[in-house]
This record gives sequence, C-alpha cells and structure tokens, in this order.
Amino acid sequence: MRKRKSFKKRDLLGWLVMLPTLLLFAFYVWEPLLENVRLSMFSAVRYELQEFVAFDNYIKVINNPDFIAAFKNTFSYTLWSLVIGFLVPIALGILISETVRFKGLFRVGIYFPNIVPGLATVWIWSFFFNPGKTGVLNIILSKFGIDPQLWLTNPHWTIPLIIITLTWKSAGATALIYMANISSISPDLYEAATIDGAGIRQRIRHITLPSVFSLAKTLLLLQIISVFQILYEPMVMTNGGPNNASISLMMLMYRYAFRDFDFPSGAALSVMICIVLIILSGIYTVATRKKED
Amino acid sequence: MKKKAVKRILGIVCCMTLTMSMLAGCGSTSETAATEATQETTTADETKTEASGEAEVQEPAEAEPVEVTLGIWPEDTLADDIAMHEGFVETMKTKNPNATYTPAYYKYATDTFMPMVESGNCPTVFESWFTEPQKLIASKAVANITSELDGKGWLNSMNPSIKELLSDKDGNIYGIPRDGYALGLMLNVELFEEAGLVDADGYPLYPKTMEELAQTAKTIKDKTGAAGFVLLAKDGAGGWHFSNIAWNFGATLCIDNGDGTFTSNLNSPEAIEAMEFVKSLKWDYDVLTADPTNEDWGTGFTQLGTGNAAMYIAANDAVNQPTQVNGLPVDKLAMCAIPEGPGGQYSLFGGTPYMFSKDATPEQINAALDYIEVMGKGPSVSEDAIAGMQADAENKSAAGVPVIPRFPCWTDQAILDAEAKIIEDYGNVDTKMFQPYFDATSSEGLRSEEPGLTQDMYSELTKVLQSVITDKNADVTALMNTANDNYQKLLDDANSAN
Repeated sequence: MRKRKSFKKRDLLGWLVMLPTLLLFAFYVWEPLLENVRLSMFSAVRYELQEFVAFDNYIKVINNPDFIAAFKNTFSYTLWSLVIGFLVPIALGILISETVRFKGLFRVGIYFPNIVPGLATVWIWSFFFNPGKTGVLNIILSKFGIDPQLWLTNPHWTIPLIIITLTWKSAGATALIYMANISSISPDLYEAATIDGAGIRQRIRHITLPSVFSLAKTLLLLQIISVFQILYEPMVMTNGGPNNASISLMMLMYRYAFRDFDFPSGAALSVMICIVLIILSGIYTVATRKKED
Repeated sequence: MKKKAVKRILGIVCCMTLTMSMLAGCGSTSETAATEATQETTTADETKTEASGEAEVQEPAEAEPVEVTLGIWPEDTLADDIAMHEGFVETMKTKNPNATYTPAYYKYATDTFMPMVESGNCPTVFESWFTEPQKLIASKAVANITSELDGKGWLNSMNPSIKELLSDKDGNIYGIPRDGYALGLMLNVELFEEAGLVDADGYPLYPKTMEELAQTAKTIKDKTGAAGFVLLAKDGAGGWHFSNIAWNFGATLCIDNGDGTFTSNLNSPEAIEAMEFVKSLKWDYDVLTADPTNEDWGTGFTQLGTGNAAMYIAANDAVNQPTQVNGLPVDKLAMCAIPEGPGGQYSLFGGTPYMFSKDATPEQINAALDYIEVMGKGPSVSEDAIAGMQADAENKSAAGVPVIPRFPCWTDQAILDAEAKIIEDYGNVDTKMFQPYFDATSSEGLRSEEPGLTQDMYSELTKVLQSVITDKNADVTALMNTANDNYQKLLDDANSAN
C-alpha cells in the first residue's frame, strides 16, 4: 500500500508534464479515431450519423469490384518497397560513411530529393515515364536506338516504377539516420579490426551491419506502415490505372469519401487498413522477438 | 532537501501554467466559436422568424438586409471577368439595395466541398459540375429552390430534360443551369489546314462517320505529326465520352427496368464493337496522344489548344478552354457533331449547374437569383439581363473566346430571341465553323446520360479503355464482360438498398 502511494507521488510530476500532450492527443487523435470507428458502423448523410448498420459498410467495401485489386496492389507496393527501397538507404549510409573526400557533398546530394515537395517529385517522374516519344527516358533510349517504352502504362511495371520514385525521394533521409547510427560506432572497433587485417568487406559485415541491425528493424516496420498507406503517388501518376493495376486501398478510401461522399464506407475501409497494419506489426514484433531470444 | 522541494514546486507550477494556458486557449476559441455560432443561430432564427412574420403581414422584403456570398465570382487571375462582375454588383446596388454581395470565389472540388458545407462556410451560390447535382441532392448539401423559382416565374422556363437533372424524385428543384451543353467534336483548324483537310473556302473537312474520324485522324498524324484525336482514359471522363461513341454504334449501356432498378448492358455486341473501334484508333491507326491514360478533361483541351492534337470530344460551353486558356486563335476553332456510327448519331447533353447553400435563407436565394438574372444567365429579357448578356459577350470577345449560341437551357422564345440578337451583334467567329455542330445538336439525336450509378459505369468503362490502349492483345469481349459484371454488382447493391 505504502509502495503504491509512493509510486503515485514519484510520478506526479511526470503525469503533469504529460497532461497537455495527453489532452491534445485525446482531442486531435483518439477522439477522431474512435469517432471514425463509430462512423463506419452507421449510415450517414454527409458526416451526420443516421442509423446503426453494424458491419454493412464493411461488407459493401469488400464487395466493391475494385477492393480485391486494391488489396493485392497495396501488398505489392509494400513488398516492392522492401525489395527496392529497404537496402538502398543502408547501402548509401555505409558508402558515404566510408567515403573520405566530398562527404558533405554526397550527404547533401542524397538528401536533396527529400526537400523537393512530394507532388513536384511525382510530376517530375511522370515526365520521365511519359510513354510517348517526348518522355525523358524514351528520349534517352532513342539515342541508343531503342524503341519508346510504355513505362507506367505497362501494368507489370507500374508499381515497381512508382516505388522507384518513392525510393528516390525518401532514401536519402533514411540514409542520414543510418549514417548517424554508423558514426556512433566506436572507431576503436574499426581500428582493432584493421590491425587484425580485416578488409572493408569484413569490417562492414562484422561491425557495421550488426550495429545498424536494430535500427534497421525499426525502420523496416515504419516503412511497411508508411508504404501501406500509399496514396498521392499513384493518384497523380496513374490514377490507379491502367485497369486498376496501381490502385491502392487508400485511393479506394479517398474515392469513397471524396468522390462519392460515402463517408461511412471510407471510414470502414480506413478501419480495415488500420487492423491489417496492427496485425502486420504484431506478426513482425513476435517474429523478431523470437529471433532475439 | 529544501532545494529539492523548491524544484518540485517550480515544476508543478510550470506544468499547471502550461496546462492552464492550453485549456484557456481551447476555452477562448470554443467560447468565440460558440458565441459566433449563437450569433449565427440568432441571426438565422431572427431571419426565419422575420421571414415568416413577413409572410403573415405581407411586409415588403426590402426592409431586411441580406448578405449573399458569391462562389461564382471569377478567380483572381481573370481581371476582365472580375471587372464585369463588379459591374453586376453595382447594378445590384440600385436594383436591390438591401442585398450585399460578397465575392467568395470557390472552385468546386469534391474533396473540399463537404467540409465547407459542414463548417457552414459554403457560399450562397456556387457553380458545380454536370456530374454532381444528384450526389449533392442525396447528401442534402444544397438548398431546395423550387418555391423561389416559382416565385420568379422561372419554373416552367427551364429545359425539361435539364430540370430533371437538377431535381429529386419528388420533383423539387435544387439548381439552375449556367449553360446547357451537348457533346460534339472540337477541331483545331490550324492542323486541318496543315494536313490539307480544308475545302476550297478554307472550312475544315470534318469527319461525318466513325470510319472517317479514324481516316481523318490518320491523315493529320501522317502529315503533321500531331495526334489526330484525343481519347480520355485517366478518369471517369473517359467513360463519359465513350458512352457517346457507344451510342453511335447502337449500344444502350444501362437498361432502366422501370421499377427503380437497372440492368447493366456493357457487353452488348454494339458496345463491344465501339470498344474495338477505340482499340483500333491506338493499334491500327495509331492516332492518339502519347498517353491517353494521363488525359483528362483539362489536358484534352491543352492538347487541342496547343496544337498537339486535332480533334477532341467536347461541348459548346467549353470553347474558352482551347482558346482563352490554351491560346488557340479564336478563328482556328471549329466544331462538328460526334460522327455517325452504325447505330446513328447521338449527342450527349446536360447542364452545368448553379447550386445554392443548404443554409441559405429564401431571401438569400432570391437575392442570388436576382444576381444571376443580372448576369444574363436566367430566363429573363429585362434591360439588366440584356446588359449582362452584352457584357458577357464583350468580355468573351476581348478574351478571344468564340461568342456562339449556348445550348438552349431555357425554353422561352423571348430569351432565345434575345440570345440570338446578342450573337448577331457580338459574334466574333464565322458561324459556318460551328454550323455542323449546331445542326446536329438541334436535331432528334440529343440523349441524356445513362441512368443508374452513372459515375460507376464510367469508372468501369475507363478501366476497359485503359486496358485496350495499353495492351495490343487485350481481349475486348472479356474485358467488357468483366466490366458488365462489376457494374451489375454495384447496381444490385444499389437496387437492394432501395
């Protein structure tokens, strides 16, 4: 009993410090989240709830002809982002850390795409991927006598190309985080390894990679959560096409809410996305914990 | 120990101050909001009470000040249009001195509209798109203006088909047409000239059949390098245009069962033939722009106006797009009908609406209708309305926009005569350039949009369009079957909900 009392006293200041944040979170995050779940179980006119319909909105969303395509594509985006985008920042981080000259220049260089506004990035890349003779990439190919390619309008290439755009934009920022992590590794380890005759490959394999491993795990999870919610890149570059080849769950949600004004169905889909992400995060956490054990 | 206690007290005081200041901030905001809301409610209540009082004692309406926010105000970059509207506001000061008209330019967008309505910031009158009225009516986001239109005597002047587009099931009307439109084919005359496709008098040799459309487009592509035809396949506008092509091949895309339910008919032989024709434009004739999957309503006009393409399906209410917006000289634009197919010649028609805030009072709606009348967009031939039409025509002429007749959205002979007179006085183009279009759209071939979840139907058709123009081996029949099944599934959902 006494222990509990002292616990309260000790933490009072902490709770007080947290109070403003808790209130703001409650008002701007948790309350809208709960309201969204409630909205997903009602019919509505505009945002005004009408009657309780239980899971009807969820069934309606699942029965939508575009749902399966959007669901598959969203996983496809996530997988391609891991294949293309996960290792690039690690490689960049290691390479620049190992660079001796012009380190600052490279650091700014890789971060530069990140300061370009997101919409500008996708527009720039849309010009690159234009399938006609005026597309930048096709102009380059034509110099080598290669016929114009379809790029984004080839349904098999649409998602990987969008992911390349995404990686181009954000890999630099992630690489900086890895570089900060690498710079915190004690130089003594490298020196000792060098004295023992370890080459650059061995130093990376036995010192650098194990050191960034736990950071990489966290960033992997964040990447999955972030890419799973991909919206504006396919919306601007392909509008979900051709024939739904690049439509994502978030795009479908946007269409429900802002094209059809069907806010309850949009809310139902957003809750479903949230549940999928919770499950993915759970599986990932359990899997990595087992590995650590 | 003492030091520690002082530290703790200081910490607590800091936290309390932080929390209190935050709560105080919230409090003052909500208080202000609440006060404003109360004031608004009070004003609204007063207005309502007074309005009903007026109705009882028949006092003149002029006694009450009315504030109208004009979402139909031109955007900042259109200085000439703004000057014209400032003139309308001046006219209103004498015509209706109790009304205050506040510019509140709003470009309708589906992602901003509902939050604006919910927050009570919707302008009294705004312009929407042709696709939106039924959605907005179902969402109860717009005002029922039937009694106001009745009061002004406009109710029976509206083109019945357009009235239907702006009405609910019970016949209540929620908007008035800014313009009517009928789809036709816009032509870039410069490219026709360059390709030698003009007659002895310099008029473009426009295509009269679908086969001629493909051949003409090919000639233009071969001789000028520009695309012969702009096909839209980015969004629902692709399906919208395709539906008109399909009609000309004899298709009916949605069957009204007459009991409030609908049956999908996207995989009829005629519809499949129409889609095969579109596919041939890409793979047999190769006359389309570089990436139709990235072409939407706006980029289509850019391609036409900037000389990248020669033909584009568009309507008479958008002649400012290739000219004023994209720089095509006013005398280098021509229009003809959408070419005839095996099933005949049809032109899809509809209306671009003015709609009104759901929160607008009858007085505000009446004042907004007065303003529209002064703009010359109502069915009135008063001096002010004629002056408004003249100002509009002068402004178009100065901006290099063709002054051509609008599609008859009002049916009164007096207004039609007045409009004809304006065109006669202010016409800035050779009417023969537009004659084939107006001949076709005044015939029997006018057809309103397909019924039953039309936007979903357009989405399904657009997906097929995307497939057939990106895949040379696309199986059109299989794709149309899938689109038909998908569309039917959505119709079934809607049918069961009804």
